[in-house]
Amino acid sequence: MPSRPTLIRAAAVPALAAALALSGAGCSSIKSGAPAAGPSSDNRAVRNGGTLTVALSAEPDKLDPTLARTLVGRTVFNAICEKLYDVDAKLNVVPQLAAALPQFSSDGKTVTIKVRSGVKFADGTPLDAAAVKASLDRHMTLSGSARKTELSSVASVSVTDPATVSIALKSPFVPLTAVLADRSGMIMSPAALKSAGANFGTNPVCVGPFKFATRVAQDRIEVVKDPNYYDAAKVHLDKVVYRIIADATTRFNNLRSGDADVLDTVATTDVEALKSDPNLRLLTSDSLGYQGITVNLGNANGVGKPAGTLAAPYAGPLATNAKVRQAFERSIDRAALNTVVFGGQFTPACGPISAASPLSSDAAQACPKHDPAAAKQLLAQAGVATPVKVSMVQANDPVERRLGEALQAQVKEGGFDLQLQPTEFSASLDQTDAGKFQLYRIGWSGRIDPDGNIASFVQTQGSQNISGYSNPAVDDLLSQARAAPDTAKRRDLYGQLITKLHEDVPLMYLYRAKNLTGVSSKVAGVQVYGDGLIRLGAAGFAA
Amino acid sequence: MRRYLLRRLLESVVTFVLVTIVVFLGVRALPGDPARTLAGEESDPATVAQIRHDYLLDRPLPVQYARYVLKALTGDLGRSARTGLPVRSTIGHALPVTLQLAMFAMVIAVLIGVGSGVVAAVRRRTATEWAANSVALLGLSVPNFWFGLMLVLVFAIAFPILPASGFVSLFDDPVQSFRHLLLPAIVLGTALAAVIMRQTRSAMLEALSADYVRTARAKGLGGSRVVLGHALRNSLIVVVTIVGLQLGVLISGAVVTEQIFVLPGFGKLTLDAVFTRDYPMIQGVVLVTTTAYIGINLFVDLLYSVIDPRIRVGGAVL
Repeated sequence: MPSRPTLIRAAAVPALAAALALSGAGCSSIKSGAPAAGPSSDNRAVRNGGTLTVALSAEPDKLDPTLARTLVGRTVFNAICEKLYDVDAKLNVVPQLAAALPQFSSDGKTVTIKVRSGVKFADGTPLDAAAVKASLDRHMTLSGSARKTELSSVASVSVTDPATVSIALKSPFVPLTAVLADRSGMIMSPAALKSAGANFGTNPVCVGPFKFATRVAQDRIEVVKDPNYYDAAKVHLDKVVYRIIADATTRFNNLRSGDADVLDTVATTDVEALKSDPNLRLLTSDSLGYQGITVNLGNANGVGKPAGTLAAPYAGPLATNAKVRQAFERSIDRAALNTVVFGGQFTPACGPISAASPLSSDAAQACPKHDPAAAKQLLAQAGVATPVKVSMVQANDPVERRLGEALQAQVKEGGFDLQLQPTEFSASLDQTDAGKFQLYRIGWSGRIDPDGNIASFVQTQGSQNISGYSNPAVDDLLSQARAAPDTAKRRDLYGQLITKLHEDVPLMYLYRAKNLTGVSSKVAGVQVYGDGLIRLGAAGFAA
Repeated sequence: MRRYLLRRLLESVVTFVLVTIVVFLGVRALPGDPARTLAGEESDPATVAQIRHDYLLDRPLPVQYARYVLKALTGDLGRSARTGLPVRSTIGHALPVTLQLAMFAMVIAVLIGVGSGVVAAVRRRTATEWAANSVALLGLSVPNFWFGLMLVLVFAIAFPILPASGFVSLFDDPVQSFRHLLLPAIVLGTALAAVIMRQTRSAMLEALSADYVRTARAKGLGGSRVVLGHALRNSLIVVVTIVGLQLGVLISGAVVTEQIFVLPGFGKLTLDAVFTRDYPMIQGVVLVTTTAYIGINLFVDLLYSVIDPRIRVGGAVL
């Protein structure tokens, strides 16, 4: 069985020629950083008091920063659990519970974090370096922790003095700052951790503008203003009720009827109706994540295992020949997909980094141009008979079906016969982890640092590398980018890396969703940045 | 009577055990690894293995089943694999919602169903019967989700007099509870009303042509006393059976209505649990549903003997 790296190196020579072609006429740049259709925040004056109802699109899982795994849960955490770092509207990492940005030692292996002073948890316990260490240690060691992978670069955490934490790294890892701007950076009250233990999530106690009050499963989570919060004077609302309304139409109806004030994830089909309603406003921002298609190149033994040779029915020229994959990608008209399936509401995308990211570059946004004739030429060069039959596993919801059918029609022009395999989502995860697929329509919610959008998906034996992709050059670029403290240098490295991905095509990026948040015009001060979290710290009812 | 009761109880226990086994195996036969589903986006093989271990999913099925049954017998249904909240208290919150909805819907269904059924039977072959039949057919034919959405559009958005969603307990605030449950109860109740109406009508037609009704009329009893006191009373046994059976259906089948009106009820809980492969929750939910079904059927059987003394005394019917 040929090992994966050999296979990729063999494929890399003809791929280089294709890459040169891509960098010329075949490649254009996607300008997804264009201003959003609506404002992402609203700074009207607000009055104090009131209860705000937010309709969430799904039920958050455990409200325990160590164990939480859902995107929607992060929106609730945003109200009750602050992090060492946060992002600003431009997605720059800024200190939150830390007093300043972290100091990296010259060898990049020691990180020093100063903790903000005068901060108290919702239960009155003071925040100090020991509390930060306790939370980070718990993230790294608790059974079932969802933070272990994110913090896998950390060797140990120590308290230097009551206001300083020192983190020793196994190897340099610049993205740690961004990791600490997500759930891994959430600091929990040591007193609450001691009393609740593994059940901390049933009554989470952190630092935040609001504190947890109650939760009724599948119905609502209520949080109330926290008088212990260091910035309590700037918090206007008395209470926020997060209601779980999974169905998009029902959610929208609740916003229209006034039963909800803020709406998470407006369906693209409701956007026009929302815009035309004078009582409602739409907040939009580009998502940090992406939606795309993963190609099974060598996942013969399951995710995380060494790559191998695919067997029938998953083997085929798509897995073995980069030209065939490039041809498939050239057959896709991303702009048309966006128009047909999402009413033009989203942004066509060709890479894992949002154009809004400070680490984006022209190379990161380069895009294989839609050209069915070129696709057919590539197939002829690859020496495969057309139409090339390929199958794609996709979730079995109506939007996915529409997307699948549109893709099917597009790639037909390029010489592909695409068979759709709609599968229940949970089952599809299992199936594709096991390598039982050719193409899989799946996306990623996105992380602040590009490393979180790339590494685990394309790194050799990466934890989510269901493609079975392995390219030592890509692994090397990832390692270099992790160790480079200089932003310009990292930007360049990620640009190079994405160029390689366009040559090898383990993933075909299709579009970047927008964070579409509906807000009643009675409400002001709601902020939604690229991370998609609904920030209510400054929100309130308009004065 | 005691023998009858004992036998029915024994049958119930056997049914109960069989159902737990079927459900336990059925849940595990679902495609999709629950550990992988729980791992969510940040999934990696080590985490999935850890979750599998934490929830005993790596142990043999008989071990898992024995543990589940033993714990369930002590009233411990475990914790939701997804939210970490205790299954028992989660069901404890959801069940009253669905029960209140089901009861309210049942009242609406009985009022409309029995009323229109009696009218249709008495006014046979008239425009009134035709109208009652049409309404019943409409109630059966209109899908819940469409009817629910229409009610929300009209009564919550166009004329905002009722809330579009949510639940307030009858015991916390009866007025708000009524306002929140009215639309969902109408949606859930109308389909059932149609069933009850048709059964009432046919039972009434049969009763009205029976000898004792003719005798009653011959004795000079007034129309309404014959209809309500004799024919309807004897038709009620059919209606009670239907109501009993349908109550179970309502409890487990209120899913669509609960989704539309965002009621944190039992049906929605079940659906969410299945989609997220939350084994402890699915098992808990089914355990409670089974108990409810068996309990209601037992209750209805006993109710027969109250309504129809022949069942109490005669062994033939048993």
